[in-house]
Amino acid sequence: MNDASEPRTGLDALPGDLMMWILIVSELLVFGAGLAAFLGVRLTDPAGFAEAQSHLHRAMAGINTVVLVSSGWLAALAVHAAEAGRIARTRLLLAAASVLGVVFLWIKGLEYAEKAAQGIDVETHPFFTFYYLLTGFHAVHVIAGIVILGLVAWRPTARNTEVGTAFWHMVDLVWVILFPILYLLG
Amino acid sequence: MSVTQAWLFLIALSLGSTALAWTGVDGGWAALAILSLAWLKAQIILRTYLGLSQAPSWSRGFAMVLGFYMLGMMGLAVAAG
Repeated sequence: MNDASEPRTGLDALPGDLMMWILIVSELLVFGAGLAAFLGVRLTDPAGFAEAQSHLHRAMAGINTVVLVSSGWLAALAVHAAEAGRIARTRLLLAAASVLGVVFLWIKGLEYAEKAAQGIDVETHPFFTFYYLLTGFHAVHVIAGIVILGLVAWRPTARNTEVGTAFWHMVDLVWVILFPILYLLG
Repeated sequence: MSVTQAWLFLIALSLGSTALAWTGVDGGWAALAILSLAWLKAQIILRTYLGLSQAPSWSRGFAMVLGFYMLGMMGLAVAAG
């Protein structure tokens, strides 16, 4: 007979759902490979990459970092609320996290519009090919995350809140590595 | 570390890396500093937001892989000069 107080080991020790962790690791591998390729190609033309990067808006991206990590914080608080059985608070926190996700996308949209106004597209320079691919793919994950948070908020339980917010934290995790590599490395 | 403490750390580290880039400091040392801050932020998200601090063996595994990856990224960043 299993003792409930016995520490969990192996795959059972992972918080949340195993399938979500497989998805998270898969996504991290894809983004990790993309960022490694970016830095690898950057070696062939450091000056050109630095010049291209000077067209990016660091302040907007910095604000977006604060927006996304704050959204992650609200999502993490939602897990605690769900575990305490506080459904209304869980829904409120998930909704607030989603709103910040929308704010992130809005700022990202402004950034893309600014690039378009400057005539910058995916073919302008290899830097921008990576920039649009990586930030665009990330933005798609933000949209997916907002949908997941919305579904969880519809009928929140401790289990589905933990699993749904894990995806959101993955989106957060990717951004905190993507942001400095694309926007800050001079 | 509570999730609120983690959030405050993440905000401080994000502002720190942005400020570092804004000072105009360039080159290998700046790249190492910026990527070290990103490494720390990723660790905080894994341990606190994603709850790996409750699973020490998994936390060590993720930390090791992330460490190798970030060292590789630092190598590529420094090589670009």
